[in-house]
Amino acid sequence: MLKRIIHKEWRAALRNRQVLFFGLVVAALLLAASAVGYVSYAGQRAQMAQAQAARRAEWVGQGEKHPHIATHFGTFVFKPKNGLSFFDYGLDAYTGTSVYLEAHYQHEFMFRPAQDYSALIRFGELSGALVLQVLLPLLIIFLCFGAFTQERESGTLRLALSQGVSRRQLAWGKVLAYYGVVLALLVPTLAVALGGAFWLAGLPWTADLATRLALLALSYAGYFFGFVCLCVLVSAWASSSRNALLALLTIWITFSIVVPKTAAALGDNLYTLPSMQAYHQAIDRDVDLGLPGDTTKAGRRARLVRAYLRRYHADSVQQLPLNMEWMASQAGEDYLDRVQTLHRDSLRLVLERQNRLSTYASFLAPYLAVRNLSMALTGTDLSTSLDFQRQASAYRLGFMRQLHHDAAWHSTYGQFYEYHPGAALWASIRDFSYQLPAVESTLRQYRPELLALLLWVVVLPLALHRSTRRFPLT
Amino acid sequence: MLEARDLTKRYGDFTALHPLNLLVRPGDIYCLLGANGAGKSTTINLFLDFIEPSGGAAFINGLPVHERGAETKQFLAYIPENLMLYPDLTGLENLDFFCGLAGKSYPKAELLRLLREAGLREEFAQRRVSAYSKGMRQKVGIALAVAKEAKVLLLDEPTSGLDPQASNEFSALLLRLQAQGVATLMATHDLFRAKDTGTHIGIMKQGHLLESFRATDVSYEDLEALYLQHMHA
Repeated sequence: MLKRIIHKEWRAALRNRQVLFFGLVVAALLLAASAVGYVSYAGQRAQMAQAQAARRAEWVGQGEKHPHIATHFGTFVFKPKNGLSFFDYGLDAYTGTSVYLEAHYQHEFMFRPAQDYSALIRFGELSGALVLQVLLPLLIIFLCFGAFTQERESGTLRLALSQGVSRRQLAWGKVLAYYGVVLALLVPTLAVALGGAFWLAGLPWTADLATRLALLALSYAGYFFGFVCLCVLVSAWASSSRNALLALLTIWITFSIVVPKTAAALGDNLYTLPSMQAYHQAIDRDVDLGLPGDTTKAGRRARLVRAYLRRYHADSVQQLPLNMEWMASQAGEDYLDRVQTLHRDSLRLVLERQNRLSTYASFLAPYLAVRNLSMALTGTDLSTSLDFQRQASAYRLGFMRQLHHDAAWHSTYGQFYEYHPGAALWASIRDFSYQLPAVESTLRQYRPELLALLLWVVVLPLALHRSTRRFPLT
Repeated sequence: MLEARDLTKRYGDFTALHPLNLLVRPGDIYCLLGANGAGKSTTINLFLDFIEPSGGAAFINGLPVHERGAETKQFLAYIPENLMLYPDLTGLENLDFFCGLAGKSYPKAELLRLLREAGLREEFAQRRVSAYSKGMRQKVGIALAVAKEAKVLLLDEPTSGLDPQASNEFSALLLRLQAQGVATLMATHDLFRAKDTGTHIGIMKQGHLLESFRATDVSYEDLEALYLQHMHA
């Protein structure tokens, strides 16, 4: 019976020019967005690889140089683009994907395309993810809004029910048929887009990538299934096709625009981020005056000198087996890192609180759940960006420490400017390589979104199943 | 066989159908006459289990409709006043689909034969229903009734809006089904058709079955006089 209903709905959908047209438009948009995403991804990847290689060559080939000058010569580190980021740009355009590392400063992240965007970006970049998260539900609405209302209005529902089929069987037949239409449109389109991108980019097929891809597919599949159930449910109970369409469009606007924008605006107002100037001023103040309970920069230096003199049973810094000036420089870097970590953590806390509203709102609007999960799985979310920031900071500190310690043990006090190491030291400093967190640890941070999506996939079919036992025939 | 035992339908304070007792045996064509709002369609809808009875029960082939709705529908075919089919499908595809819903499966050639016997030419059977006239759609309905091997036929104003030739063809098809022992309950405004085709006639008004008699017991003139008498009373 279900097979018959599915077959008939497919046939009707294939003969419906509006549905076909809109379906082809969505498929074309998906392919176009993926192609644009791939070109951008491949371009950025090539630029990064080129810049990283050039910068490394410059670093190794900088010649003999005073180490402090080398620390200011610094280096660039890059957050490598994840293979799936061509599909979902996420927050990369806003958070940046590279940073210049040097002594004394924590520079802002660079390569943020959003800085160059016009006000139109408020509507979102056209990415494969945007097409699936926002436009595809619209296609589902146009495909399903008349599932029952049109049958009721034309009278075919009564004829169908008089054959002995139940309302519930009809409802499930329609759900499976429409879901099949959606999958029939998506699977080949995505296979072409993803397969093409992976083949062109020559990406290695890793277990992590396969897991991310599978979870991404599951998330979207669940999201669309819930949407199909919702549309059929609304159509079963709406008094007319017009009302069903209006109700579904209202739900779509609420899910895709009203709830996300409200959650973001509320987050911004409730948890305010400090200005960039205030943020840096607070860091400078804490470095100069010391963190609460700590002493000033001069006091900390004196304490450090006393500690070294005690450790080496020396009376003066000249008697130490290492150059105290370099150790003091490193202590300054360590303290700066401590202060920056504290401030970054409080900044992260504010961002997390802002995001928490959007996380909880995903129980109201599953779009948010699938959006956040999609960004997480493609490695373009805030938590991955913060993780990159942490790894870059740790690298900066290790980079400084290696140079300072080398200089400390190869020069004596009073000879600060006389030690000039060469290529061997520069080459011994490993290049930065960002490690994307394992998918399991990423997903642990998105439990509410996973739960929201699970509820969406379970509650709506249940509601459909219960409520289609009996719904109006006229 | 169709049977109503004290079958009643109320909507709040309004009684759409007062306790109705009715028996339509195999081979009977029972025509329910009455103005709009008389309770004819309500009776049909109760036999189809589209609405819940407020009292009494409807039976099809001895099975209570409300308790065993899905089973009773195996035995019945329903043709409403304006039989609507899926416009994007052909007549043949529509017949195949509705047969499938009824648990019947026929090869294409058999479906075409059924449509042909119902009066629909093959060239039309393979065309989309959006181009069909009402009479052509009713023929698909008849083909469906035959395909289902229905024991009971429920007709709600089936000839309303049909041209005389199409009405005559429809009546001829009904008589063929009658000969096969199908019990038919037909709601109609058409006194002539009721007298000409029906074996039994009932006159309904405001939810009451006022009269019930054999069609052969009255002349057309008597039927018309009786009907008008009740309508103006």
